[in-house]
Amino acid sequence: MTDISLEKEQKIADELERTFPNLTARVRRARRVMASLEKELIPSVLVHAKDNLGFHHLSHMSVVDWIEDEHFEMVYTLWNHEKRVQLTIKTMISRDNATMANIDTIWRQANTYQREMREMFGIEFPGFVGEKDFLLEDWDEMPPMRRDFDTMEYANKTYFSRPGREDAQDVRDTISKRNGEEVPDFAKKYSREK
Amino acid sequence: MPNDKNSQKIVDMITGFARSNSLFMLAYGTGCGDIEIPPAMTSRYDWERFGYRKMATPRQADVLLISGYLATKTLKRVIRSYEQMQEPKYVIGFGSCTINGGMYWDSYNTINMLDHYIPVDVYINGCMPRPEAVMSGLFELQEMIKRGDANGAQKYRENLEWYRANQKKIIKNWKMPDYNW
Repeated sequence: MTDISLEKEQKIADELERTFPNLTARVRRARRVMASLEKELIPSVLVHAKDNLGFHHLSHMSVVDWIEDEHFEMVYTLWNHEKRVQLTIKTMISRDNATMANIDTIWRQANTYQREMREMFGIEFPGFVGEKDFLLEDWDEMPPMRRDFDTMEYANKTYFSRPGREDAQDVRDTISKRNGEEVPDFAKKYSREK
Repeated sequence: MPNDKNSQKIVDMITGFARSNSLFMLAYGTGCGDIEIPPAMTSRYDWERFGYRKMATPRQADVLLISGYLATKTLKRVIRSYEQMQEPKYVIGFGSCTINGGMYWDSYNTINMLDHYIPVDVYINGCMPRPEAVMSGLFELQEMIKRGDANGAQKYRENLEWYRANQKKIIKNWKMPDYNW
């Protein structure tokens, strides 16, 4: 734990760069290695990391929506139990017609993550078998976690809203005036009547 | 018995008294508000003193306590539970989420106003309501039953089309069984 030489991390990064020429790997800090590459190579890198480098555990898998740059970023987080190193693998995929290789044959738990990504971001995984509905039921709009989905507009359109909360006023002053009470000291800094 | 007004009044008084003092509550924790129920239920506040009990199935329950926010998926289950309950039945809306959406007012998957989907007899506001507030809401319901004001089930039966239209707006793929008691 007190080893700060970054030797084992550098070894993993070098090994990855040597095996895959298009891959860029860097050591972020102790026990953290990050690698990025194009999306076609992802399954082979994952298999290589799992079988040859000892990253047996898929800790997490997620997607980031970079709407300004018009792409999604897929993030795979692996963990090596023997060396105690975390490897983060990133790749960019295009935002329209987003497809990604199915990896639930490598790790079974990826199935759940991929179902969630398909539902929340609309990313398709060719050849992937999984129940269509995951958290939402009967959803026929744009996938809701995409950043161009307007949540407020959808909520206003779909649900009823009770009148009286449009102005978002602090009602403490009104209540204290009505009851003839003093606003307590701790609440004065929130008051709108300075 | 002759069907005159005074004898009916006495019967109503007795049934109101009996109903208000033995209320079985459906133990269905829908949102985060359910964490306030154990203190209200157990020895610290102990609502069983006043005739409330938790009941496991909707068909045996009198009171449906909606504790907190309702996702659209949960709303479907709540409607089914409510329709399975036998009369007399009452609904308590618990927490600000059931009143106006609370902190989830602009969420894509939670409803904002519960009384547009099922009739609510008593609202308890707060986020979260303390167990004292829960108890006061329960007393309010008992008083309403004694007065004969807690007639949400009747309201639901009379305005069924309006409630159904609102429910179907949320639940697009309507495959619910028909419970006609």
